[in-house]
Parts: sequence; structure tokens; C-alpha cells
Amino acid sequence: MTPAFERLQKHLKQLPGLGYRSSERIALHLLVEKPGQLPALVLALEEAARAVRRCGRCGNLAESEYCAVCADDRRDRSVVCVVEHVPDLVAIERSGAYRGSYHVLHGKLSPIHGVGPDDLNLAALRARIEAGEVAELILALSNDVEGEATCHYLTEHLPAVAAGRSLSVTRIGFGLPSGGGVLYADSVTLKSALEGRRNYQ
Amino acid sequence: MRLRKLTLRHFRNVGFAALELKGRQQFLVGANGQGKTNLLEAAGFLTALRSFRAVDNKLLVGHGEHTAAIVCDLEHERQGETKVTIKLRHDGKELWCDNARVTRLADYLGKFPTVVFSSQDLQLVRGSPAGRRRWLDLTLAAMDAGYLRALQTFTRALAERNALLKRGVTGDAQLTAFELTLAPAAAELIRLRMAGLKALGATLKKNYAQLCDDAEPVGLVYDPNFAEASEEVLLARWAAGRARDAQFRTTLVGPHRDDFHFSVRHTAAKDYGSEGQQRSLVLALRLAQAGWFQEKSGIRPVLLADDVLGELDLARRRRFWAAIDPESQVIATGTSLPDAELGTWQVFGVADGDFTENTTTTEANA
Repeated sequence: MTPAFERLQKHLKQLPGLGYRSSERIALHLLVEKPGQLPALVLALEEAARAVRRCGRCGNLAESEYCAVCADDRRDRSVVCVVEHVPDLVAIERSGAYRGSYHVLHGKLSPIHGVGPDDLNLAALRARIEAGEVAELILALSNDVEGEATCHYLTEHLPAVAAGRSLSVTRIGFGLPSGGGVLYADSVTLKSALEGRRNYQ
Repeated sequence: MRLRKLTLRHFRNVGFAALELKGRQQFLVGANGQGKTNLLEAAGFLTALRSFRAVDNKLLVGHGEHTAAIVCDLEHERQGETKVTIKLRHDGKELWCDNARVTRLADYLGKFPTVVFSSQDLQLVRGSPAGRRRWLDLTLAAMDAGYLRALQTFTRALAERNALLKRGVTGDAQLTAFELTLAPAAAELIRLRMAGLKALGATLKKNYAQLCDDAEPVGLVYDPNFAEASEEVLLARWAAGRARDAQFRTTLVGPHRDDFHFSVRHTAAKDYGSEGQQRSLVLALRLAQAGWFQEKSGIRPVLLADDVLGELDLARRRRFWAAIDPESQVIATGTSLPDAELGTWQVFGVADGDFTENTTTTEANA
């Protein structure tokens, strides 16, 4: 292989989910099999790199100052759903069940991986709460040790809410998948589903 | 549970072996270093996907090979005829149960109990606390998904807290965040260990009395690093210990430093017990483990006796034999065949990783 090809392959290999073989396959595909599509791809990459940035309010992907959700006036800005990553937001959006706004942390606390509070998108959240625009915070972080710790950290370090306003903090429920029976749920899920039961009607 | 067929490929020094096991007693006979224990190790791997002697699964794959496989055909109390396939690679393992891939350890653990009796068991009395904790965690987690969950959460949260301390992070905010996750799991572990050791200790006492005629009172004593199974008290203790933890750059207090000891006549068997007492204690402990598995799961464990019968004198051997469940399958190893009085064995000769069934029975040999 040529030096330029190897440089390309090396960069592709650093992308998440790609190993040596798949990066080689992609490089060959781009350069040899379908070279005609390459300029379009390069252009798309350059354009995206120039245009896409973080939403100034919530951290979601945006092409102007605010993302599509924040820019939408019909969304309820007093309810904020806190998620770890942009794909989590996309998943909740796809459900169509939520009409509030979001806040993307871009990670969770994990000292093992060197992620501390300063690496998370916390300052913007604090500013939103201090501005008094938030009435409810829904914590939709993952149900593991790091997600749990991040929830603890968040709730213990909420800024003071402006006088005359209150802030309620809720955690997203963990339980049975819809359409799924009790029989096929694993024991951990069943336990949290039982703990999180609520009054019927 | 009965193991009906055991097939190994590239497992330690065994290139390929397929053993059809008939009846409830199998004996593997051969000189040292031929592969007898390797076969027991493979059978024992079934229970918790861990080897009873190697900490690193890499050691289990045959030299110069890529993948090792263990296939067990079982007669199971709950699931009828079942086939479990375990594939081991250097970078991980793969588990199949009746042609369905199993991806969660919690869904598997405790379904296929085996208990290994090994000469290394003496280390449970004499050795380091880490070995005892490992045994205790394995025994309790195999039968209680709640214990496994608490252990996994605790281990993970502890690693995160220690990572904070290693980085020298100042300020309590992040430490508190992980302590709040750590505390309920730690309290649960302490509570379940207390209850588990109490139950296991009671069975141990009964088994010991059967193994030794003049039975002195024996027991298991929990030595918790921090005795109070309360979230609030644990949280306060960690908060108070932060300065010291920061100095040592690790969490100094918690169930990760727990231990337990064997007592004979209310003294520590490690320091005051005779060789014979210590041997009988570990045998009684393994029998208690087998009883625990059966009581909790309703499944009769397969007993794997690695060169244990040969180490006991005649009287103790007889009493040991009388103490084990007469319905349990026993797979034993030794350098010479056992006495005729221990029943009829299906005998396999072992030489250099090859297993051949001896058609002559033990009775004819004796």
C-alpha cells in the first residue's frame, strides 16, 4: 500500500467501532471501488465541520445559535430532560412522548475514564436554572453506577432557585419494556420495576 | 444435576476428549501432570465461568491455540436434558445454553452448581483474606442475584471512588456522589454476608461432627471490616475518613476488606488448629457449600474431588464418603484406584491429555 493510503487508513481506524479490517475496507471503497462519490463526501464533511456546533442553551447539535428543539416556541422550556448524549435525545424525540426541552451533558462522571464535573456541560444547565426558567428537571441518565453518581452530584449541587419559584427533580422510571411479559424480564429489571410500582389509576 | 457427557477441545493440555459418563461415580486415574485436574477444572468452570485454580482464563486455552471449548451434556432437575457450550478465547468467552447465546452472567449463574474439593482448599483456612472473599462471593452470588448485583455495583463504585483518590481530587462533591451509590450496595453486602456465613457455619458444624468422631465445636466467624450494615453509618464513616483515604489514595474502610475465619473450640483454626483439624474443616466447608447450593436452587451439585480421597486416612475417607449426599454425582481423581468399599466406579485412565475408559471395574481391580 502507498503512504497516503496508510495515512488515511490510520485515521479511519481511530473512529469508534472501526478496526483494522473495516478501516482498510472503507479506504479501498472510497479510493478504488467508488471514487466518484468521494468529492461529495469530502464536501459534506467540510460543510458539517463548519456548520454543526453545540446549541448554546442545551448542548444539542445545532447549526445556528440554538438547536431545533430550543428554537421551537411550542416546546415547554420549564421542563428540562437531562440526558448523557445526543443519541439519547434523539431516541426520546423519536418516541414523540415529550414536549419539553433538553439538556445534554455530553458524558457522565467517571473518574476511571478521567471524566470530572468540568468535562460535563453543567455550567449552561446551572445558568438555565439560575435564570429561573426551569420548574422541573427530569434525570434521564443511564441506570448504572456512573449515571447514578452523576444524578447525585447534579441534585446536590443545584444552584439556588430565584425567590418565589420552586424546582422539582424527577428520575426517569426503570422497568418492563412495553409489550414484554414479566416472564422474559431479567431479575434486575424486575426488581426496579417492582420498586418503582405506582398506584393503579 | 448429572454430567452425562463432557467434551473438551484445546483446553490446557487436552487436545480433544469426549467422555461419556455413566452412573454417579467416575474416577480419573493417572500419574501426576497428565491432565486429570484439567478435566475437573473444565467441569467446575460450568458453575460460575471461573476456574477454581487459575485467576486468568488465558491460561486455560491450550498452548499455541486460539480457542478452547467445553461442552457439557447435562441431566438437569429443572431443564431436563441440557447442553451448555463454553468457548474461551484470549480476549473473552462465549456462552451457549441449548443453542441460545447467554449474554448476561446473572441469567446463568447458579443454574449448574458444582463443588470442587481440592488439596489447595487448605489455603481457605491458612491463606490470605482475598482467597476467602473470593470463595464467599462466588458461593453467595451463585445463588442470589441480589448479592451479585450488590457486588457488581459496589466493585464498580469503589473503583470510581479510588480513581478519584488516586487523581488527588480535592473537594468532597464528587466523592459524595460516588459514596451515595456505594453505601446501599455495601450495606446489602454486609447484611447478606452476615446471614450467609451464619447459615453456612451451621451446616459446617454438622458436617464436621460427621467427619470427626469426637466433635469439638467449630464454626465460621465473620470478621467484617466495618460491622454496621447501615447506609447512614457507612456514609458518615467514609465522610470522616476522607482525609486519611486521600493520604493513602485508596478507600480504607468497607466490605472490600472483609474476612472470615474458622474457629475450633472458639479459637482461630488458622493459628491453633492441627493439620488434621484444618483438613477436616475445609472438607466440611465444601460439603456445606454443596448443601447451600442444593438448598437454595433445588439442584443437586456435582462433586469434583481432586485427589482428595488419597489424602485422607482410611477412617476419615469412610466418614467423608458417608457424609456426602448418596444421590450426588462424584467425579474424582487420584494416582491410584480407590478402595472397593467406596462403591463401583467408572474408571478413565489419563495419560498426556488423553482419556481412555478402563472397561474393568474397580471391584475387579481391587
